Amino acid sequence: MLQALNLTKRYPAGAAGAADRPALNNLNLTIAPGEIFCLLGQNGAGKTTTINLFLGFLQPTAGQALVGGLSVAEHPLETRRLLAYLPETVMLYPNLTGLENLDFFASLAGFRYSAAERRDLLLRAGLPAEAHARRVGTYSKGMRQKVGIAIALAKQARALLLDEPTSGLDPKASNEFSELLLALGQAGTAILMATHDIFRAKEVGTRIGIMREGQLVETLPTHSLTASELETIYLQTV
Amino acid sequence: MPLSPFRLIARHQWHTLLRERAVWLLLGLVLLVAAYAAAAGWTTYRQQQATQVHYQQQARRDWLSNPDKHPHRMAHYGHFAFRPRAPLSLFDGGMDRFLGNAIFLEAHRQNPVNFSEAGFSTGLLRFGDLSLALLLQVLLPLLLFFLGAGTVAADRENGTLRLLLTQGVSWPQLLLGKAAGLLAVGLLLGVPLLALTGGLWLAAQGGAPSLDEVLRFGLLTLFYGLYLALCCGVAVLVSAASRTARTALVGLIGGWLLLTMVLPRAAQALGSYVYALPSKTAFQTAIQADISRQGDSHNPDDPHYQALRDSVLRAHGVATTDQLPFNYGGYVMAEGEKISAGIYTRHYRRLLDTFRQQNQFARSVAFLDPYLALKNLSMALAGTDFLAYTRFQQQAEAYRYALAQQMNQLQIEHIPNRKRPPTEKDHTIDRAYWQRVPEFRYQAPTVQQVLRAEWVSVAAFGFWGLLLLGLGRRAATRLTAL
Repeated sequence: MLQALNLTKRYPAGAAGAADRPALNNLNLTIAPGEIFCLLGQNGAGKTTTINLFLGFLQPTAGQALVGGLSVAEHPLETRRLLAYLPETVMLYPNLTGLENLDFFASLAGFRYSAAERRDLLLRAGLPAEAHARRVGTYSKGMRQKVGIAIALAKQARALLLDEPTSGLDPKASNEFSELLLALGQAGTAILMATHDIFRAKEVGTRIGIMREGQLVETLPTHSLTASELETIYLQTV
Repeated sequence: MPLSPFRLIARHQWHTLLRERAVWLLLGLVLLVAAYAAAAGWTTYRQQQATQVHYQQQARRDWLSNPDKHPHRMAHYGHFAFRPRAPLSLFDGGMDRFLGNAIFLEAHRQNPVNFSEAGFSTGLLRFGDLSLALLLQVLLPLLLFFLGAGTVAADRENGTLRLLLTQGVSWPQLLLGKAAGLLAVGLLLGVPLLALTGGLWLAAQGGAPSLDEVLRFGLLTLFYGLYLALCCGVAVLVSAASRTARTALVGLIGGWLLLTMVLPRAAQALGSYVYALPSKTAFQTAIQADISRQGDSHNPDDPHYQALRDSVLRAHGVATTDQLPFNYGGYVMAEGEKISAGIYTRHYRRLLDTFRQQNQFARSVAFLDPYLALKNLSMALAGTDFLAYTRFQQQAEAYRYALAQQMNQLQIEHIPNRKRPPTEKDHTIDRAYWQRVPEFRYQAPTVQQVLRAEWVSVAAFGFWGLLLLGLGRRAATRLTAL
């Protein structure tokens, strides 16, 4: 579903964060439907760059990013239709309610839902019913994350891109989030998640990739490792 | 059937803007000012129109009530022409207030058009009179820039831009949608202002408006609509290219200041510097010099008129002018009038050419400043531009010339040729002849003539529209969400 072929990104010299080495170097990666791939690595290792390349917000210097077999650079609109994206903090319109935000963003993607269907989507994403008609400005970070999930559900996204989605969430919210991801994975969504949370990665991920200085240096299946083994490998690698 | 992303974004932008209480406050304030401007425009128009009609009729009555007289004395008694107001002047005062309103028409000389409103006003007028046109040209764009600065930049700042784009919205849809939403808010003000103008304009017609008038108003509406759309497009593009709404606002307000305040004045100053005008005295002295070179019709020893007399005497086979079958004095006067009017017209044309060059220069600056294109077109369509004024001046001169020559003709035909002894009363003709002089009626230029004179402004409008489209297309391929 998500595929990187020799994907390389070099920022123009002089741009913010530009270094001599490419931000992303020759990434090869395939994430099948139902798979949850967790990208670990320090800040600046190339995780966010990878996600932005899949979203088409950046143009690759070399290689290509494919979504559902389509090149992102050549078909940005078509590939975005298949994707949902959850940043660290889901940004919505604070003056609209959760229901209104969901309606607006789902309509933009071409989906029209009845009020009951929208409520159902928000409930599936874990947002309590009493919050549905409240303005998003009053929501906590976790609640906005759930509206973000509901938007992804509404869009029937086949691949999900997550950029440190659990940072700053309390343990309970974080746990609920993991369960949601597992449910989505079981439903056949391909998930790429950049994270710092090794234990969460072990819990939800089917595979884990460790990045360093723009390169994917290690790819491991999670079922064969314990969290502490994973941590040891991570610390040795980065 | 789901709504298109374009319409969804436009609707969302509209709701976002109208949710702000400050926006309603601003809209209310502008409407209030507009009501004042409309009332002021209407009152001024009515007063000036009434004054013009009153004095034009009075001048006619005075002319007709003259007793039996020598026609040349009537030619010196003269007539007046008062500049009428175009109905749309209540919308856009243009140059009206700074140009003369009345002209004294007499034999032998071309008087200036005197008594401008500004000439009688205190300095207050210099602050610019508040017209509906000014609100639409200057204030509404400022408001649109103010509201439009955040259209895309605010989404970029708070992160919703990435979500919008991830949902499959394309840049053209986003930019057009935002611009349309902004334009809808602009029209919330623009439409009432134009409707108000339309109502007053209809009321000012005193009957059904002519096709020409309808075309003027229609074109005015069209160009103002285009201009507002242009402003919305600029606001959204600047917003999209800016990191934050604040930088977009600074850029837009800066641009507004430059385009509506600085450049128009600079263009005017530069235009009159490059194409310098002669002073009034220099202009008149040059005409006088040319006329005396040609000959003085009131001087019996003038060589030009001596030659004329000799040729007339020869043609009729008589020895003295007294023996001619017509009044020789009238004949000489007609010749003098023809010569002096010809000279005047030649100089006046040259003066007009300089004015035209100045104005054409100012119009060309519209390729740097779209505001000037709208301003010039608006004035021209409202009939308050320099073209309308020179038309009046030319028609008044044509009327004056015809009047003087008609009096000369009456003298040639009806005044005895022999010299009058000093004891005898002046020769006169019947006062019924005064009726034969038609009334002065000003013919405003037609819309076609206006557009021909303003083709540069229309072209500048097209240029800016295309430029914006081009920039929009470029932006759509280059902009990123980051």
